[in-house]
Amino acid sequence: MATSAQLQLHAGSGGLVGLGNMVSKEWNSWWRTRRGLTHLILWLIVINGLMFLVGVDERQGSPPQEVLDELIEVFIRAGGLFATIGIVLATQSAVVSERQLGTAEWVLSKPVSRHAFLLSKLLVNGTSFVFLAVVVPTVVFYLQVIHHALMQPTVVPFLMGLLLHVEHLVFYLTLTVLLGTYFRSRGAVSGVAIGFLIAGSILPGVVPSVTALLPWALHPIAGTIARTSTVPDGAHVTILMCGLWSILWILLALWRFGREEF
Amino acid sequence: MYQETVIRTDKLTKTYKGVEALKALDLEVVPNSIFGFLGPNGAGKTTTIKLLLGLVHPTSGSASVFGHDIVGDTIDVRRRIGYLAQEPRYYEYMTARETLRFTAKFFYRGPRDSIEKRVAETLELVGLTDKADRPTRGFSGGERQRLGIGQAQVNHPDLLILDEPAASLDPMGRRDVLAIMEQLRQRATVFYSTHILGDVQRVSDTVAILDHGELIAQAPIEELLAGSGGVVYSIELKGDTTSAYQRVSNQPWVSEIHVAADGNGSRWQVAVTDQEAAERELLRLMLADDSLTVTQFGRKQYELEEVFMDLVEGNGNGH
Repeated sequence: MATSAQLQLHAGSGGLVGLGNMVSKEWNSWWRTRRGLTHLILWLIVINGLMFLVGVDERQGSPPQEVLDELIEVFIRAGGLFATIGIVLATQSAVVSERQLGTAEWVLSKPVSRHAFLLSKLLVNGTSFVFLAVVVPTVVFYLQVIHHALMQPTVVPFLMGLLLHVEHLVFYLTLTVLLGTYFRSRGAVSGVAIGFLIAGSILPGVVPSVTALLPWALHPIAGTIARTSTVPDGAHVTILMCGLWSILWILLALWRFGREEF
Repeated sequence: MYQETVIRTDKLTKTYKGVEALKALDLEVVPNSIFGFLGPNGAGKTTTIKLLLGLVHPTSGSASVFGHDIVGDTIDVRRRIGYLAQEPRYYEYMTARETLRFTAKFFYRGPRDSIEKRVAETLELVGLTDKADRPTRGFSGGERQRLGIGQAQVNHPDLLILDEPAASLDPMGRRDVLAIMEQLRQRATVFYSTHILGDVQRVSDTVAILDHGELIAQAPIEELLAGSGGVVYSIELKGDTTSAYQRVSNQPWVSEIHVAADGNGSRWQVAVTDQEAAERELLRLMLADDSLTVTQFGRKQYELEEVFMDLVEGNGNGH
């Protein structure tokens, strides 16, 4: 192949060929367009706006510790619910649209592996979304808590609670990407993912034994840990299973996408 | 000197839900050719291209590009290919320059200045320098196609695969695309599918015709245009042709004469079995008659369209 004197060709043909370039492209789609700014504003309004309203309401004569506990609980559970719906909606088109528009076909005609294509979406969508819908609102929340409760959350349990919140988001991110490799429409992808989320408020009452094995209990567990520093009984199983499900979704998505035809 | 075959397929077959889109294709493309890949809609041209690129998986058979297996070594295959899809799509938020830079970075890891230089050269080649920093969402069909050719050759590929590169272009756009193809031929093999037979006749040196997933012809263009029905002479005449017809048809080397009225005169198609005898005697036999004027005489040149229609209709796709 003809090359100019200085250009250096990429070598190697492993499963992650082209990952760096794909990550860079995905990163630019978040941070060199309005997408990142839109999410930043959205999540500050939704999560921190909600916390502001709760804080104003709770401050009316309640003891500071009570206000603090209430704020942490609402932040983890309600903020978590919104962020979960958000990550599904933000990534529902990650695979489906590329397939529909033909950009996936174009990219995959270049020396890039299908694994790299899919993993770049998981990595960049995951980190960008977590930064915008978890990290930034958490920093703002921390300041809000000091303002409303005149106290600080205990750092380590609070961070552990947040980690479980992120684990919950990763579960839905991987599930959404997996669904994107199977379905042809965004509606089907988000419908199934959000339907699964909603099922979490119905199924545990009907079949209580499934709760420990699925991510629905993660937010209550995260709230308890963040507030009280105690790990509820059986939480380890849920935390472990949620991680395993996410890994399984990734493996299934890679397998399915590897068989896809464009 | 040994030259590796660029594309070789061996009984390459693709079936979609029980329907054979490609039937045991055996194809061979030699280096530095412009290989025209023809066929009616649904003939299997795009399927073949996608198989070569690893975008779809073969049902059976095998193929290699520069000796690399299209299934096992698909990354190595794609490193040496530039591909332009039938309807090229890009990320609309990217500019033309960003699109080419993104493409180049799949092939080159640096240095940055050299990549930028290559991108600028490519923009120049396809005439998009003045639109380099505009998002592609505002590009016209012709500009998209130019960008498509640019991204397909930004890595200076050894094999350029173009799927209907001129289909959506106006005559000037088509002319430009063909000129770029001829320019690129100096350093690469060009394999392209098209419906525009005039373009194929103009630039291709080898042609393959596919119909209903089957290869029905593959030959150098001159061979294909010479026709498969033997040597035929085309003659235009004025005057009384009765005795001339008698003389010519009595020759043992004349197999068929087809006469058609043409204004004041007539046009003959004389099929012969002995080309040497025909070259020596045919014109003389006509001119032996003083009342007859020969206004045109020559060996018949087939148009590709004629050959294509004959082959495709002969294969059962005629309407």
